[in-house]
Amino acid sequence: MNTLDPRIKRLSLDPSTEVEKTNSHLITYEVFHQEKRGKHVTHVGIVHASNPEMALVMAKEVFGRRGKTTNLWVVKTSDVYTFGSDDEDMFETTPEKTFRDPAYYKVRDRIEKFQNKQKFEHEQRT
Amino acid sequence: MSNALKDLLYKMADDALIIGHRNSEWTGIGPMLEEDLAFSSMAQDKIGHAQALYKILNEVLGEADADTLAFKREEKQFKCCHFVEQPIGEYDFSIVRQFLFDHAELIRYDILTQSSFQPLAQLAKKVKGEIKYHVMHADTFVKQLGNGTEESKARIQSSLNYAWHLALGIFEKSEFENDLIAENIFVGEDELKKRWLEKIIPVMESANLKVPATDEIKIVYGGRKGFHSEYLKPLLDEMCEVVRTDIDAEW
Amino acid sequence: MYGSTNLSEEEAKRMNTTVEDPEKLEAFESRIARGEKIEPQDWMPVEYSKQLIRMIEQHAHSEIVGALPEGTWITRAPNFRRKLALIAKVQDEIGHGQLLYSAAETLGKTREEMLNDLLSGKSKYSNVFNYPALTWADIAVIGFLVDGAAIVNQVINSKGSYGPYCRALERICYEESFHLKQGHDNVVYLATGTKHQRAILQDAINRWYRPLLHFFGPPDKQSAHSEKLMKWKVKLASNDDMRNQFLDQYVPKIWELDITFPDPNLKKNDDGIWEFSDPDWNEFKRVINGDGPCNAERIAVRKFAEEAGRWVRQALMNPSEKYVVPLA
Repeated sequence: MNTLDPRIKRLSLDPSTEVEKTNSHLITYEVFHQEKRGKHVTHVGIVHASNPEMALVMAKEVFGRRGKTTNLWVVKTSDVYTFGSDDEDMFETTPEKTFRDPAYYKVRDRIEKFQNKQKFEHEQRT
Repeated sequence: MSNALKDLLYKMADDALIIGHRNSEWTGIGPMLEEDLAFSSMAQDKIGHAQALYKILNEVLGEADADTLAFKREEKQFKCCHFVEQPIGEYDFSIVRQFLFDHAELIRYDILTQSSFQPLAQLAKKVKGEIKYHVMHADTFVKQLGNGTEESKARIQSSLNYAWHLALGIFEKSEFENDLIAENIFVGEDELKKRWLEKIIPVMESANLKVPATDEIKIVYGGRKGFHSEYLKPLLDEMCEVVRTDIDAEW
Repeated sequence: MYGSTNLSEEEAKRMNTTVEDPEKLEAFESRIARGEKIEPQDWMPVEYSKQLIRMIEQHAHSEIVGALPEGTWITRAPNFRRKLALIAKVQDEIGHGQLLYSAAETLGKTREEMLNDLLSGKSKYSNVFNYPALTWADIAVIGFLVDGAAIVNQVINSKGSYGPYCRALERICYEESFHLKQGHDNVVYLATGTKHQRAILQDAINRWYRPLLHFFGPPDKQSAHSEKLMKWKVKLASNDDMRNQFLDQYVPKIWELDITFPDPNLKKNDDGIWEFSDPDWNEFKRVINGDGPCNAERIAVRKFAEEAGRWVRQALMNPSEKYVVPLA
């Protein structure tokens, strides 16, 4: 094969080679990445691998070849259990439950009103 | 003493450069995408180790700068072993080479963390983790392929047989061997080889591989003294092709 | 044309005739209109999924085939800095392929099926990679301008509606900015270097100019449109808009180095629109249909990789493990 790539030249390719179709698949592992100690371990993607050891070896260079990494986790895709997307309605009203949120509790107005009242009463008295 | 040190640094740097260069040839054509990435990263690590070692030669021992040492030396000035010079072959040879070479490399760097030559001890401490990954990678693959299909078992075993006497050439001693040991710079190649065998034999066994028999006469020596296989010269010509088109240019 | 959304007439017609459950379609479309992303487990129109697979798959193929022209110089990079940068850069292309195939896999087509289709010629990759990297300067030009063009396309696509594709593109765009910087660095060294270096750079720019104009696909007035793909945020900008954005960002960066483009008509008009000579769209079609300088080599190399790696992948397979579609 006429090629400019010396690596390819060394392979002595035959362009007329027929390729077999691949019909079997390696399984996938979901990869989780922890950037720093103390941080959450977050999902970053998948790797194809034969077993958990190999998935880790692969995950390191697929998802950890830049920046900081303290750890990686891999979980076989078929072992992850999730809600169906139809079940999203179960979460729909949760943001409305504002009594669970700190921002719901606003007492500053009430304190100021109380203080003004006190001040007023004090002034009345003197 | 500086000649002994230079000799050690050159052989380590040249080994790292040449095997890194060879392994980078897989980038883009590896057996699966994930492995393409892993193999390429390790090639980059190795080239980085070479650069760091040449830098010590330059800054501490007064040799030329790293780019000059890598891209402008003659073939006979290289001290790499024949093992790293061999073409990548098929993937089974490349992975077996990585397995045999990196086990030796990990032990070498581990020992060098205790070297009396501080710049090398510091470098060894810094990059040991990288080589640890290279070994983990190689072991994982060798075990999987050694326990895989009939084809993968046969391929790994036959590459191992082919690579064995080349790999033993890693431990070729130079004339400075005794100086390095006496000055506590390095424990020496014999000790390294002993520890290497202790590490790789159990892995080969768990990979169902037969440990090839060693025939002292067949061990491929010469590289450490500047005598190379027929593959190094073309490799260097290729590596330096662009540099040589305009030798004084900054690239 | 990373992941082209140009439709054939037949496809454009089918897009408009496939009947979907109106209620589900309405919910799907209003989700997109609200700016929310679609996730793999969601209901989606058949054509949405089909077009996305086609586009992401093409994009993935472009990455792994795109690794080949630059790979040509991997063993010849002239110093440590360039050697490491080039290996890391080509490696990233494979990494991007990995991320993109994974994103497409969430839509139900396996990586192996996609690779089968690449090798059989059923599915395409970007035309630009069918041109050779003749000299070291091609590496600089590819790194700076081809990647520059790819970034324009990818940044726009990362605002699309399909969650996994957007996530992959975010990571990819971050890595591409390294490609661009190292490419620019390489271009600047050549342009400010010796006579020989300037000459090979100018020659490379001359050769890559047309393929770069072709990169974003045919002019808008010649390409079949789909309002639906725009509405579904699969396609986000027109070919001409992207091409103009690219010229606007990159032409001045070449001109400031006193390097020229081989086109006397290349200029920016007062309305901000770049003008250029017709880049020969027939050549574009010829190359897409297989008659480019490197089409045969690119596919032959990918076939080699597939065949040579088969025994490795087979040894890693465990028949008792069932493949399931990845989650996200």
